[in-house]
Amino acid sequence: MTVAAELLAYVKARHPRSWRGVEEARALDTARFDAYAELLLGWAIRALGDGAIARTVDAFVHFTSDVNLAQGRYEADGRYESSSYREVYEAVYADRATMDDYLWGVYLTNFLWVHHLEISAFYEARFVARLPERARLVELAPGHGGWGLLALHRRPGATLAGFDISPSSIDIARSLARAAGLADRASYELRDALTLPAAGDADACICNFLVEHLETPARLFEVIAGALAPGGRAFVSGALTAAQVDHIHEFRRESELVLLAEQAGLRVLETLSVGPARTLPGARHLPRSMSLLLQRRTREHW
Amino acid sequence: MGRAMPALDELAPLFRQVFDDDELTVTRATTAADVEGWDSLTHVTLMLAIEKRFKIRFKSSQVASLKDVGELADLIDALTRS
Ligand SMILES: C[S@@+](CC[C@H](N)C(=O)[O-])C[C@H]1O[C@@H](n2cnc3c(N)ncnc32)[C@H](O)[C@@H]1O
Repeated sequence: MTVAAELLAYVKARHPRSWRGVEEARALDTARFDAYAELLLGWAIRALGDGAIARTVDAFVHFTSDVNLAQGRYEADGRYESSSYREVYEAVYADRATMDDYLWGVYLTNFLWVHHLEISAFYEARFVARLPERARLVELAPGHGGWGLLALHRRPGATLAGFDISPSSIDIARSLARAAGLADRASYELRDALTLPAAGDADACICNFLVEHLETPARLFEVIAGALAPGGRAFVSGALTAAQVDHIHEFRRESELVLLAEQAGLRVLETLSVGPARTLPGARHLPRSMSLLLQRRTREHW
Repeated sequence: MGRAMPALDELAPLFRQVFDDDELTVTRATTAADVEGWDSLTHVTLMLAIEKRFKIRFKSSQVASLKDVGELADLIDALTRS
Protein backbone atom coordinates (compact mmCIF):
# COMPACT_ATOMS: atom_id res chain seq x y z
CA MET A 1 0.00 0.00 0.00
CA THR A 2 1.35 3.47 -0.84
CA VAL A 3 1.57 6.12 1.87
CA ALA A 4 -1.16 8.11 0.10
CA ALA A 5 -3.47 5.08 0.07
CA GLU A 6 -2.83 4.44 3.75
CA LEU A 7 -3.50 8.07 4.54
CA LEU A 8 -6.77 8.11 2.60
CA ALA A 9 -7.96 4.85 4.15
CA TYR A 10 -7.26 6.22 7.62
CA VAL A 11 -9.11 9.49 7.01
CA LYS A 12 -12.10 7.72 5.55
CA ALA A 13 -12.39 5.20 8.39
CA ARG A 14 -11.59 7.48 11.34
CA HIS A 15 -12.44 11.00 10.30
CA PRO A 16 -15.41 10.96 7.95
CA ARG A 17 -16.03 14.70 8.45
CA SER A 18 -12.57 15.43 7.01
CA TRP A 19 -12.94 13.17 4.01
CA ARG A 20 -14.44 15.70 1.65
CA GLY A 21 -11.75 18.31 2.11
CA VAL A 22 -8.94 15.80 1.66
CA GLU A 23 -10.60 14.40 -1.44
CA GLU A 24 -10.85 17.94 -2.86
CA ALA A 25 -7.15 18.53 -2.35
CA ARG A 26 -6.23 15.27 -4.03
CA ALA A 27 -8.57 16.01 -6.94
CA LEU A 28 -6.81 19.34 -7.57
CA ASP A 29 -3.51 17.66 -8.38
CA THR A 30 -3.44 13.93 -7.67
CA ALA A 31 0.16 13.36 -8.73
CA ARG A 32 1.44 16.17 -6.52
CA PHE A 33 -0.77 15.15 -3.59
CA ASP A 34 0.48 11.55 -3.75
CA ALA A 35 4.10 12.67 -4.13
CA TYR A 36 3.86 14.89 -1.02
CA ALA A 37 2.19 12.08 0.90
CA GLU A 38 5.12 9.85 0.00
CA LEU A 39 7.78 12.46 0.74
CA LEU A 40 6.42 14.56 3.63
CA LEU A 41 4.44 11.88 5.38
CA GLY A 42 7.30 9.48 4.64
CA TRP A 43 9.63 11.74 6.67
CA ALA A 44 7.08 11.88 9.49
CA ILE A 45 6.83 8.09 9.50
CA ARG A 46 10.61 7.84 9.80
CA ALA A 47 10.63 10.49 12.54
CA LEU A 48 7.76 9.15 14.62
CA GLY A 49 7.81 5.41 13.88
CA ASP A 50 4.75 3.18 14.17
CA GLY A 51 1.47 5.01 14.39
CA ALA A 52 2.81 8.10 12.59
CA ILE A 53 -0.13 8.29 10.19
CA ALA A 54 -2.67 8.14 13.00
CA ARG A 55 -0.67 10.64 15.08
CA THR A 56 -0.23 13.22 12.34
CA VAL A 57 -3.66 12.83 10.74
CA ASP A 58 -5.41 13.10 14.12
CA ALA A 59 -3.37 16.26 14.74
CA PHE A 60 -4.36 17.61 11.32
CA VAL A 61 -8.05 16.94 12.00
CA HIS A 62 -7.88 18.67 15.37
CA PHE A 63 -6.00 21.62 13.94
CA THR A 64 -8.49 22.01 11.09
CA SER A 65 -11.40 21.74 13.49
CA ASP A 66 -9.87 24.44 15.72
CA VAL A 67 -9.36 26.68 12.71
CA ASN A 68 -12.93 26.21 11.49
CA LEU A 69 -14.38 26.90 14.92
CA ALA A 70 -12.20 30.01 15.31
CA GLN A 71 -13.42 31.17 11.91
CA GLY A 72 -17.04 30.64 12.96
CA ARG A 73 -16.49 32.69 16.11
CA TYR A 74 -14.70 35.38 14.08
CA GLU A 75 -17.68 35.56 11.71
CA ALA A 76 -19.92 36.14 14.73
CA ASP A 77 -17.66 38.53 16.67
CA GLY A 78 -16.04 40.41 13.80
CA ARG A 79 -12.54 40.14 15.29
CA TYR A 80 -9.84 37.60 16.12
CA GLU A 81 -10.14 36.17 19.61
CA SER A 82 -6.51 36.88 20.67
CA SER A 83 -4.77 40.21 20.67
CA SER A 84 -1.82 39.66 23.01
CA TYR A 85 1.32 37.99 21.67
CA ARG A 86 2.46 37.25 25.21
CA GLU A 87 -0.73 35.35 26.03
CA VAL A 88 -0.53 33.33 22.83
CA TYR A 89 3.12 32.58 23.53
CA GLU A 90 2.27 31.12 26.96
CA ALA A 91 -0.80 29.21 25.82
CA VAL A 92 0.48 27.91 22.48
CA TYR A 93 4.14 28.24 21.45
CA ALA A 94 5.60 27.49 24.89
CA ASP A 95 3.13 24.71 25.70
CA ARG A 96 4.64 21.38 24.65
CA ALA A 97 1.53 19.24 24.39
CA THR A 98 -0.46 21.88 22.53
CA MET A 99 2.38 22.78 20.21
CA ASP A 100 3.50 19.26 19.25
CA ASP A 101 -0.01 18.44 18.11
CA TYR A 102 -0.41 21.82 16.43
CA LEU A 103 2.81 21.53 14.43
CA TRP A 104 2.16 18.02 13.14
CA GLY A 105 -1.29 19.22 12.14
CA VAL A 106 0.06 22.28 10.32
CA TYR A 107 2.67 20.10 8.61
CA LEU A 108 -0.03 18.12 6.81
CA THR A 109 -1.97 21.22 5.75
CA ASN A 110 0.79 21.80 3.18
CA PHE A 111 -0.91 19.25 0.98
CA LEU A 112 -4.17 18.25 2.70
CA TRP A 113 -5.69 21.73 2.39
CA VAL A 114 -6.52 22.35 -1.21
CA HIS A 115 -5.37 25.98 -1.18
CA HIS A 116 -2.13 25.11 0.58
CA LEU A 117 -1.42 22.46 -2.02
CA GLU A 118 -1.56 25.34 -4.52
CA ILE A 119 0.88 27.34 -2.41
CA SER A 120 3.23 24.38 -2.19
CA ALA A 121 3.23 24.14 -5.99
CA PHE A 122 3.89 27.89 -6.31
CA TYR A 123 6.71 27.67 -3.75
CA GLU A 124 8.43 24.86 -5.58
CA ALA A 125 8.07 26.26 -9.09
CA ARG A 126 8.78 29.94 -8.48
CA PHE A 127 11.05 29.97 -5.43
CA VAL A 128 12.79 26.64 -4.82
CA ALA A 129 13.50 25.84 -8.47
CA ARG A 130 15.25 29.20 -8.92
CA LEU A 131 17.48 29.03 -5.83
CA PRO A 132 21.21 29.17 -6.46
CA GLU A 133 22.89 25.75 -6.35
CA ARG A 134 24.64 26.37 -3.04
CA ALA A 135 22.05 28.71 -1.55
CA ARG A 136 22.40 29.82 2.07
CA LEU A 137 18.85 29.86 3.39
CA VAL A 138 17.36 31.42 6.49
CA GLU A 139 13.97 30.19 7.69
CA LEU A 140 12.00 32.26 10.18
CA ALA A 141 9.37 30.40 12.23
CA PRO A 142 10.00 27.03 10.56
CA GLY A 143 7.56 25.33 12.94
CA HIS A 144 7.68 21.70 11.78
CA GLY A 145 10.46 22.63 9.34
CA GLY A 146 8.77 21.14 6.30
CA TRP A 147 9.06 24.16 3.99
CA GLY A 148 12.79 24.60 4.38
CA LEU A 149 13.48 20.87 4.31
CA LEU A 150 11.62 20.57 1.04
CA ALA A 151 13.96 23.23 -0.41
CA LEU A 152 17.04 21.38 0.89
CA HIS A 153 15.71 18.12 -0.52
CA ARG A 154 15.37 19.66 -3.99
CA ARG A 155 18.65 21.62 -3.79
CA PRO A 156 21.40 19.25 -2.63
CA GLY A 157 24.00 22.03 -2.29
CA ALA A 158 21.89 24.36 -0.12
CA THR A 159 22.15 24.90 3.64
CA LEU A 160 19.61 26.33 6.08
CA ALA A 161 19.53 28.09 9.45
CA GLY A 162 16.09 28.12 11.10
CA PHE A 163 14.87 30.26 14.02
CA ASP A 164 11.68 29.57 15.95
CA ILE A 165 10.47 30.73 19.34
CA SER A 166 8.90 27.40 20.26
CA PRO A 167 10.93 24.56 21.82
CA SER A 168 8.55 22.07 20.16
CA SER A 169 9.41 23.49 16.78
CA ILE A 170 13.14 23.05 17.31
CA ASP A 171 12.69 19.41 18.35
CA ILE A 172 10.25 18.52 15.58
CA ALA A 173 12.20 20.31 12.85
CA ARG A 174 15.41 18.58 13.95
CA SER A 175 13.70 15.19 14.03
CA LEU A 176 12.25 15.71 10.55
CA ALA A 177 15.63 16.87 9.24
CA ARG A 178 17.23 13.66 10.54
CA ALA A 179 14.42 11.56 9.09
CA ALA A 180 14.85 13.28 5.73
CA GLY A 181 18.62 12.72 5.76
CA LEU A 182 19.14 16.50 5.74
CA ALA A 183 20.40 17.09 9.29
CA ASP A 184 23.91 17.92 8.12
CA ARG A 185 22.58 20.88 6.11
CA ALA A 186 19.86 22.20 8.45
CA SER A 187 20.38 23.82 11.86
CA TYR A 188 17.65 25.13 14.14
CA GLU A 189 17.94 27.60 16.99
CA LEU A 190 15.44 28.67 19.63
CA ARG A 191 15.14 32.38 19.02
CA ASP A 192 12.63 35.17 18.53
CA ALA A 193 12.88 35.85 14.80
CA LEU A 194 12.40 39.55 15.42
CA THR A 195 15.77 39.69 17.20
CA LEU A 196 17.76 38.33 14.25
CA PRO A 197 20.65 40.64 13.37
CA ALA A 198 20.73 42.17 9.90
CA ALA A 199 23.61 40.04 8.63
CA GLY A 200 22.74 40.75 5.00
CA ASP A 201 24.33 37.53 3.74
CA ALA A 202 21.50 35.05 3.07
CA ASP A 203 20.74 34.11 -0.53
CA ALA A 204 17.14 33.44 0.37
CA CYS A 205 14.70 33.59 3.25
CA ILE A 206 11.59 31.52 3.94
CA CYS A 207 8.95 32.81 6.33
CA ASN A 208 5.55 31.16 6.14
CA PHE A 209 2.62 32.00 8.38
CA LEU A 210 4.39 34.04 11.03
CA VAL A 211 3.39 37.58 10.06
CA GLU A 212 -0.25 37.31 11.20
CA HIS A 213 0.95 36.03 14.60
CA LEU A 214 2.76 39.25 15.44
CA GLU A 215 1.81 42.53 17.07
CA THR A 216 4.38 44.30 14.88
CA PRO A 217 4.23 42.71 11.41
CA ALA A 218 6.17 45.57 9.79
CA ARG A 219 9.18 44.64 11.90
CA LEU A 220 9.20 41.13 10.41
CA PHE A 221 9.65 42.44 6.87
CA GLU A 222 12.55 44.59 8.09
CA VAL A 223 14.17 41.49 9.59
CA ILE A 224 13.72 39.60 6.34
CA ALA A 225 15.21 42.42 4.29
CA GLY A 226 18.08 42.69 6.79
CA ALA A 227 18.87 38.97 6.63
CA LEU A 228 19.11 38.95 2.82
CA ALA A 229 22.10 39.78 0.71
CA PRO A 230 21.30 42.47 -1.90
CA GLY A 231 19.24 40.80 -4.61
CA GLY A 232 18.41 37.84 -2.31
CA ARG A 233 14.93 36.40 -2.50
CA ALA A 234 12.28 35.65 0.06
CA PHE A 235 9.19 33.51 0.10
CA VAL A 236 6.73 34.86 2.64
CA SER A 237 3.18 33.72 3.35
CA GLY A 238 0.49 35.16 5.56
CA ALA A 239 -3.17 34.63 6.38
CA LEU A 240 -5.91 37.15 5.58
CA THR A 241 -9.27 37.26 7.39
CA ALA A 242 -8.47 33.77 8.62
CA ALA A 243 -8.96 33.26 12.34
CA GLN A 244 -6.90 30.95 14.48
CA VAL A 245 -6.32 30.92 18.22
CA ASP A 246 -2.83 32.42 17.71
CA HIS A 247 -3.63 34.91 14.94
CA ILE A 248 -3.36 38.45 16.19
CA HIS A 249 -2.94 40.78 13.24
CA GLU A 250 -6.00 40.79 11.02
CA PHE A 251 -4.91 41.40 7.42
CA ARG A 252 -7.91 42.14 5.25
CA ARG A 253 -6.50 42.90 1.82
CA GLU A 254 -3.61 41.59 -0.23
CA SER A 255 -2.19 45.09 -0.66
CA GLU A 256 -1.47 45.33 3.07
CA LEU A 257 1.19 42.63 2.84
CA VAL A 258 2.54 44.05 -0.40
CA LEU A 259 2.93 47.46 1.21
CA LEU A 260 4.74 46.12 4.29
CA ALA A 261 7.19 44.31 2.02
CA GLU A 262 7.81 47.40 -0.11
CA GLN A 263 8.26 49.66 2.89
CA ALA A 264 10.95 47.33 4.22
CA GLY A 265 13.03 47.56 1.05
CA LEU A 266 11.76 44.50 -0.75
CA ARG A 267 10.53 44.28 -4.33
CA VAL A 268 7.40 42.22 -4.91
CA LEU A 269 8.13 39.86 -7.80
CA GLU A 270 5.06 37.64 -7.69
CA THR A 271 2.11 36.89 -5.43
CA LEU A 272 -0.50 34.19 -5.06
CA SER A 273 -3.62 34.57 -2.96
CA VAL A 274 -5.80 31.52 -2.50
CA GLY A 275 -8.85 30.61 -0.45
CA PRO A 276 -10.31 27.26 0.53
CA ALA A 277 -12.72 25.45 -1.77
CA ARG A 278 -15.67 26.09 0.55
CA THR A 279 -16.52 28.54 3.33
CA LEU A 280 -18.98 28.63 6.21
CA PRO A 281 -22.50 29.35 4.96
CA GLY A 282 -23.16 33.08 4.72
CA ALA A 283 -19.50 33.89 5.40
CA ARG A 284 -18.47 37.54 5.22
CA HIS A 285 -14.79 36.63 5.20
CA LEU A 286 -12.85 34.47 2.79
CA PRO A 287 -10.08 32.96 4.91
CA ARG A 288 -7.19 33.04 2.51
CA SER A 289 -3.51 32.49 2.39
CA MET A 290 -1.23 34.77 0.44
CA SER A 291 2.32 34.06 -0.64
CA LEU A 292 4.76 36.69 -1.83
CA LEU A 293 7.92 36.14 -3.78
CA LEU A 294 10.19 39.03 -2.82
CA GLN A 295 13.62 40.35 -3.64
CA ARG A 296 15.80 42.64 -1.57
CA ARG A 297 16.09 45.88 -3.49
CA THR A 298 19.50 47.15 -4.49
CA ARG A 299 18.27 50.52 -5.85
CA GLU A 300 15.54 52.84 -4.74
CA HIS A 301 12.78 51.10 -6.66
CA TRP A 302 14.15 47.69 -7.71
CA MET B 1 -28.60 4.93 29.54
CA GLY B 2 -32.23 4.36 30.46
CA ARG B 3 -33.31 7.90 31.19
CA ALA B 4 -34.79 10.30 28.68
CA MET B 5 -32.28 12.41 26.76
CA PRO B 6 -33.77 15.83 26.24
CA ALA B 7 -30.73 16.95 24.30
CA LEU B 8 -31.18 14.24 21.68
CA ASP B 9 -34.84 15.18 21.03
CA GLU B 10 -33.95 18.80 20.69
CA LEU B 11 -31.02 18.07 18.45
CA ALA B 12 -33.01 16.58 15.59
CA PRO B 13 -34.54 19.90 14.45
CA LEU B 14 -31.10 21.51 14.47
CA PHE B 15 -29.72 18.72 12.32
CA ARG B 16 -32.62 19.10 9.88
CA GLN B 17 -32.00 22.80 9.65
CA VAL B 18 -28.20 22.64 9.22
CA PHE B 19 -28.27 19.78 6.72
CA ASP B 20 -31.35 21.17 5.01
CA ASP B 21 -33.22 17.86 5.14
CA ASP B 22 -36.74 17.68 6.65
CA GLU B 23 -36.68 13.90 6.72
CA LEU B 24 -33.43 13.55 8.63
CA THR B 25 -33.57 11.44 11.79
CA VAL B 26 -30.74 11.01 14.22
CA THR B 27 -30.03 8.43 16.90
CA ARG B 28 -27.21 8.13 19.38
CA ALA B 29 -25.35 5.94 16.89
CA THR B 30 -25.53 8.39 13.97
CA THR B 31 -22.11 9.47 12.67
CA ALA B 32 -20.91 11.79 9.90
CA ALA B 33 -20.78 8.79 7.57
CA ASP B 34 -24.62 8.49 7.87
CA VAL B 35 -25.49 12.11 7.14
CA GLU B 36 -25.07 13.59 3.68
CA GLY B 37 -23.05 16.80 3.88
CA TRP B 38 -21.71 16.39 7.43
CA ASP B 39 -18.16 17.58 6.82
CA SER B 40 -15.76 19.65 8.89
CA LEU B 41 -17.38 22.95 7.86
CA THR B 42 -21.02 21.98 8.39
CA HIS B 43 -19.87 20.48 11.68
CA VAL B 44 -18.88 23.94 12.86
CA THR B 45 -22.18 25.39 11.67
CA LEU B 46 -23.96 22.69 13.64
CA MET B 47 -21.85 23.33 16.75
CA LEU B 48 -22.51 27.08 16.63
CA ALA B 49 -26.26 26.46 16.20
CA ILE B 50 -26.18 24.13 19.19
CA GLU B 51 -24.28 26.67 21.30
CA LYS B 52 -26.95 29.26 20.55
CA ARG B 53 -29.88 26.93 21.18
CA PHE B 54 -28.56 25.50 24.47
CA LYS B 55 -26.69 28.63 25.62
CA ILE B 56 -23.42 26.78 26.07
CA ARG B 57 -19.89 27.20 24.73
CA PHE B 58 -17.79 24.32 23.45
CA LYS B 59 -14.04 24.11 23.80
CA SER B 60 -12.35 23.48 20.49
CA SER B 61 -10.93 20.14 21.69
CA GLN B 62 -14.49 18.99 22.45
CA VAL B 63 -15.68 19.93 18.98
CA ALA B 64 -12.93 18.03 17.17
CA SER B 65 -13.22 14.71 18.93
CA LEU B 66 -16.98 14.02 18.84
CA LYS B 67 -17.54 10.65 17.19
CA ASP B 68 -21.31 10.30 17.07
CA VAL B 69 -24.56 11.99 18.06
CA GLY B 70 -24.58 10.12 21.38
CA GLU B 71 -21.31 11.73 22.43
CA LEU B 72 -22.64 15.08 21.30
CA ALA B 73 -25.85 14.69 23.34
CA ASP B 74 -23.86 13.67 26.42
CA LEU B 75 -21.57 16.66 26.04
CA ILE B 76 -24.53 19.04 25.73
CA ASP B 77 -26.06 17.42 28.79
CA ALA B 78 -22.87 17.89 30.78
CA LEU B 79 -22.44 21.49 29.68
CA THR B 80 -26.03 22.54 30.33
CA ARG B 81 -25.82 21.08 33.83
CA SER B 82 -22.55 22.70 34.84
C1 LIG C 1 1.51 28.66 11.96
S1 LIG C 1 3.11 28.15 12.49
C2 LIG C 1 3.95 28.19 10.93
C3 LIG C 1 4.91 27.05 10.75
C4 LIG C 1 5.49 26.91 9.34
N1 LIG C 1 6.28 28.07 8.96
C5 LIG C 1 4.37 26.74 8.32
O1 LIG C 1 4.14 27.66 7.55
O2 LIG C 1 3.74 25.70 8.30
C6 LIG C 1 3.71 29.57 13.32
C7 LIG C 1 5.12 29.38 13.90
O3 LIG C 1 5.63 30.66 14.27
C8 LIG C 1 6.44 30.47 15.43
N2 LIG C 1 6.65 31.79 16.03
C9 LIG C 1 5.74 32.60 16.62
N3 LIG C 1 6.31 33.74 17.00
C10 LIG C 1 7.61 33.68 16.64
C11 LIG C 1 8.72 34.58 16.76
N4 LIG C 1 8.57 35.77 17.31
N5 LIG C 1 9.90 34.18 16.27
C12 LIG C 1 10.06 32.96 15.71
N6 LIG C 1 9.05 32.07 15.57
C13 LIG C 1 7.84 32.43 16.03
C14 LIG C 1 5.64 29.49 16.23
O4 LIG C 1 6.42 28.90 17.25
C15 LIG C 1 5.21 28.51 15.12
O5 LIG C 1 6.18 27.52 14.95
